[in-house]
Amino acid sequence: MAGAITVCRKELADHLGSKRYIVLFALILVLSTLSAYQGAEYIKDNPQAGFIAVFSGARFGFSFTSLMVFFGPIIGLSLGFDAINKERTSGSLSMLLSQPIYRDSVINGKFLAGTAALSLLTVTTIGIMSGVAMSILGFGPTLDDASRIILFTLLTILYLAFWLALGLLYSTVTKKTSTSILMSVATWLFFSIVIAIIAALVANLLVPITMPRDTSGGNIAKILRSPEFRELLRRRFSIQMNIQRVSPAYLYNEAGASILGISGGRLGFIGPGGGRPFKSLELIEGLTASWPQITAIAAGLVICFVASYVLFLRLEIRPGG
Amino acid sequence: MPEPIIETYELTKYYGNVKAVDHLNLTVYEGEIFGFLGPNGAGKTTTLLMLMGLTVPTSGTATVGGYDIIKESREVRRIAGMLPEGAGYYEDLTARQNLDYIGQLNDIPESEREKRIDELLEAVGLTKWANTKVEKFSRGMKQRLGIAEVLIKKPKIAFFDEPTIGLDPQGTKEVRDLMTQLNKEHGLTIFLSSHLLYEVQQTCHRVGIIRGGRLVAADTIENLSKNIAEKGRMVIEFKLTEIRSDLIRELEAINGVTHIKRGEDNRLYVYMESDRSREVSETITKHGSIILLMKPKEHSLEEIFLKYYEREA
Repeated sequence: MAGAITVCRKELADHLGSKRYIVLFALILVLSTLSAYQGAEYIKDNPQAGFIAVFSGARFGFSFTSLMVFFGPIIGLSLGFDAINKERTSGSLSMLLSQPIYRDSVINGKFLAGTAALSLLTVTTIGIMSGVAMSILGFGPTLDDASRIILFTLLTILYLAFWLALGLLYSTVTKKTSTSILMSVATWLFFSIVIAIIAALVANLLVPITMPRDTSGGNIAKILRSPEFRELLRRRFSIQMNIQRVSPAYLYNEAGASILGISGGRLGFIGPGGGRPFKSLELIEGLTASWPQITAIAAGLVICFVASYVLFLRLEIRPGG
Repeated sequence: MPEPIIETYELTKYYGNVKAVDHLNLTVYEGEIFGFLGPNGAGKTTTLLMLMGLTVPTSGTATVGGYDIIKESREVRRIAGMLPEGAGYYEDLTARQNLDYIGQLNDIPESEREKRIDELLEAVGLTKWANTKVEKFSRGMKQRLGIAEVLIKKPKIAFFDEPTIGLDPQGTKEVRDLMTQLNKEHGLTIFLSSHLLYEVQQTCHRVGIIRGGRLVAADTIENLSKNIAEKGRMVIEFKLTEIRSDLIRELEAINGVTHIKRGEDNRLYVYMESDRSREVSETITKHGSIILLMKPKEHSLEEIFLKYYEREA
């Protein structure tokens, strides 16, 4: 364990000083503060919304959750994708493993350091957001709000740690950082863009929207209001949703909305302001509702970490790397 | 009799179907510089990796400093340091930070660590660059930093894998001198893996020759040289002012001289079954020729090396 702590301390110092981390941190901080400002303005106009609306940024539909949906993968992956293979190529890994430590200290230490860096990012950002909102609103979160915020913070850390573990896995299975960075970018694009396209395509194939030939103005409005058409849309939406649930980002979005007790949480970076931030779920209800998603994200994290752990322990250090 | 500090028993490593190390039996004694000699791909690095516990043997085992390399590999790494071939460092950290990290991993308390780092930077001549990022270092400087990293744990045994590869003559000399000095002053046992014959001859007390993963010879260079020479034979090289054919005939007549070979530049190689150098030189002088040079011909390490290779092949 002593070895893991030493590795963790060194890696954490590396992260906190790295341009990569600082740039992402600054970006998230700026955008989040902006969204907190918007959220607070919204609460001013809609006093029934409650403090929690800070995180939904309802006015422009650009919230902390949607930021994390979009940037979360890249933040987590960027802290993990070169953790092992960079040291392998540079030759510092064989130097490191020649020290009197157990081999798993290296991977444990690196994962801990990454998680610590991600936690720092999350806690700082959410803290600053709350601070900004409080100074604008002149009131703070209720006890219920505060518990929701804490749970939401933990959820966000879990979600980011999942991406970190995936990055760590990539860095263990590939020899070159150029390969693992490509895999990371591909993963990011897949889960943030491609999967939504696929979901829309599949929904379109399974439940096509058929328009009657006669499309005079009055008719369309009638059709759109008809119960059959609404049923059609509902089915399409449910197909899309179920496909998108493959994406941890989507799961996070759903779980986040449930925990915050906000309905109308949306996926995507910027969308029309459709979120209706009113508390629809009690804290316990929300937690219960988000439990399947939380379990899925946690399971993904454990699978990725265990896989990279086992692979790393079996890694053959061969002559010439 | 010095104590054995490294012993391998039938140590074997396969990579897939490729035999990298084949039933290697080897003993290294405390306080010596042992040269591990062999061409590229002979299994030198693999042996080192196994001894340090970075890779697991397919079969066989070994002890380093009395510790089993499989069951107690962490203990081995506590008393042994290795400078692997192509060792790397944390480029965005300074020399001091790199050393400090390695020191921490060896559980050296902070005050002691700082003291040792200062001493080591001094010893390897990096004091001036202590706070410079390693990315700015030359190969030679990195190699010296590597040696410092090996030494920070105060090891009993140091493994150096091709430590002078890619260094300029100046850097090569510095690294060699450092190894010799460490051995002499601190009694550090050094296991030097190399394919550079000259380097091994210059620094090592004993050499082991490895070929295709097998140890084909292990002894002092002197003894290896003796063994290689055919039994009882010796050769003396002469350089004379002039050589007449009757001199050669007369020399061949000396009891114990088997044959004479003429070389360039008035040189003679006299092959003898027993030492007849006195009679030979008397005969030469009697013929009015002057001896300009007379020396027993020794086998160079290169010859020894190649002989052992041919013998095995």
